Amino acid sequence: MPTEVKHGPALSPEAEAELRESLKRCSPGTMEAVLSYRNTGDTRAIPAVVMGIIERFLEPENRPILKTGANNVRLVEDLGLDSLLMVEIIILVEEALDISIPNEEMRELRTVSDLKEFIDCKVKGIKPPFKPKHLSVQDIAAFMPHQDPFLFVQEATLHEDECEGLYEIRGDEFFLEGHFKGKPIFPASLMIEALGQLAVLQLLKSKRPEIENLIDPQKVYFASCDGVRCHKVCVPGDTLTLKVKLKRIRFPLASFEGSIMDGSEKVAFAEDITLAFDYLK
Amino acid sequence: MRKVVVTGLGFITCIGNDQATVSENLRELRHGIELYPPFQKEGMPVKVAAPVKDFNTESPDPEDWNFPSRYKMRLETLRGLAPQGLYAYCALSQAIDDAGLNSEEVSNLRTGLHTASAGSPGMMYHHLKRMFKVGVMRCSPMGMVSSIAGTLNFNLVASFKIKGSSSGFVSACASSGHAMGFAYDEITLNRQDRMLVVGAEDGDIVSILPFAGMRALSPSEDPDKASRPFDKDRDGFVVTGGSVAVILEEEGVARKRGARIYSELLGWGQASDGHHVVIPHPEGAGIEAAMQNALKAVGVSIGAVDYVNAHAPSTWHGDLAEIFALKEVFGVDNNGPAISSTKALTGHGLSFGSILEASLCIISINEGFTPGSAHIETTDPVTNGLNIIRETRETAPKIVMSNSSGFGGSNVTLVFKKYPG
Repeated sequence: MPTEVKHGPALSPEAEAELRESLKRCSPGTMEAVLSYRNTGDTRAIPAVVMGIIERFLEPENRPILKTGANNVRLVEDLGLDSLLMVEIIILVEEALDISIPNEEMRELRTVSDLKEFIDCKVKGIKPPFKPKHLSVQDIAAFMPHQDPFLFVQEATLHEDECEGLYEIRGDEFFLEGHFKGKPIFPASLMIEALGQLAVLQLLKSKRPEIENLIDPQKVYFASCDGVRCHKVCVPGDTLTLKVKLKRIRFPLASFEGSIMDGSEKVAFAEDITLAFDYLK
Repeated sequence: MRKVVVTGLGFITCIGNDQATVSENLRELRHGIELYPPFQKEGMPVKVAAPVKDFNTESPDPEDWNFPSRYKMRLETLRGLAPQGLYAYCALSQAIDDAGLNSEEVSNLRTGLHTASAGSPGMMYHHLKRMFKVGVMRCSPMGMVSSIAGTLNFNLVASFKIKGSSSGFVSACASSGHAMGFAYDEITLNRQDRMLVVGAEDGDIVSILPFAGMRALSPSEDPDKASRPFDKDRDGFVVTGGSVAVILEEEGVARKRGARIYSELLGWGQASDGHHVVIPHPEGAGIEAAMQNALKAVGVSIGAVDYVNAHAPSTWHGDLAEIFALKEVFGVDNNGPAISSTKALTGHGLSFGSILEASLCIISINEGFTPGSAHIETTDPVTNGLNIIRETRETAPKIVMSNSSGFGGSNVTLVFKKYPG
């Protein structure tokens, strides 16, 4: 069953002529797909519209790359599009499909399939799926209140309501000198600290509607934790895979569940980590 | 003192799209003026113009344009251009080939680019009309860079990967004279070794018609007589679009790479009327001062000048002011330099007029003829005492002056010399 969306009256001959003019350098199939969508609301036509419009803006030597049909083709790196051409593509898609797309929503689009999916969701009026976002240690240090030598998240992948992070125990951390003398072991209390830091990161990047204002990064504190269990001792050379899951936000508190793995081995688990936060004044 | 020589020329003009054709038409005094199709309707106050041939840039969408297939460019280059940008791209490509420069010789810290253009009223009109019709967020992001004054340098610096100095000049019909003069300075001051100089104009309906509103254009319906500088019945100028590109190099740099040298750019001078926003000074005080300044700068005696390519656009006041100025500088004993205005053939190139005429001077020095002032039926008696030549002479000028004047009384004189002297 094809998805149909609410659509206006069939295109007037003048509007159709104007659209044909705007799309005259796209393949004939593109115009057919536009008419099919505009006149019947059949959203199956949308991928053909998007592909036809992208193709129209490509240098001839890059067109075969798009035609491989691979969805992971990257707009900038593989197709040679720049940000101004992306704007031209979006403008023409807006005109063809009679939708409007705010600039800031385009920034996360990397591949052809991102763009197709994004426009499909726009047309159907549903929220585009959250794209996992990778953060490097530089990205993390740029907004986190925690800094070296007390930052225990070296890279992170953000999902909509959960977040993964990594910490590799180097062996030269200052606290390992005395924990324990002659036998360095990563402290269990710092494992909880690392999960807490990842929770802070998730909270600061969260777009949940419960967060009504910008959170002040200087005012996020550890409030409580519960149900903590440790399973494995970790030593220099081990890599901690941290994970937090957002459970609930109700100002001024946000609670998470946390876990740590080393490869396939369980290291630690926390049923609840709660942070207290405040908004920017 | 570093000397500046001319090593490359490129032409997209109404009298030819390559040097050989331009040279032949110049020598034979064949003009490029025609009954311009968009003007052949009721209510149009002008009928003639001098458009470039073999190009169709009527659509505001560059991807609709037709142009000679020898010019290849990527879509990303084409999309930012106004018609003048296309002409300039083609003229500059031609000049670079003509000079035998490779891409490293074009793209380095010691090679710069000067352009002259007033921007593209046609593109501006198209994009602003669209902005008000469909809203600003549905407008092409290339609208600005194809429209505003500066469009030539934005686009050419990017597409030719220019890394040296770059700048655009806006002084109306003296613009490309300034572009060339200050390019000369860049080289003699040892800031650059090589300068690419380009002037261009759209020469389309919207860039021509406003001059009719000023009563400056010839209403003539006869392409063979419309532009007739120094004629007593001259009645206004004819507009031409297109582009000319000139490659200037420091003499040593040019010789080291074995370049063919067309002529030497000896120097230049400029001065302003300080008089009226449009009308030239009645005695031509500004253009006279520009000529005197140029002669002083290059250290050449008045008697050594063989030929003056006059600005004389075929307007009543413009020609008259320059006639008085020429009389002041060269005297009235008929022994002065040969004088002609090649605008009789090309029409007036506005921002690219000066470089167009400079390039014709370079051809005349290099090929050994002095082009006549065409289309004169009755010479304006005010010119008595000046040596205005009506036919081409097969004599090679050694030292040539090229004059240009623009709105606001801006005047530039360039001086070229046969090479080697």
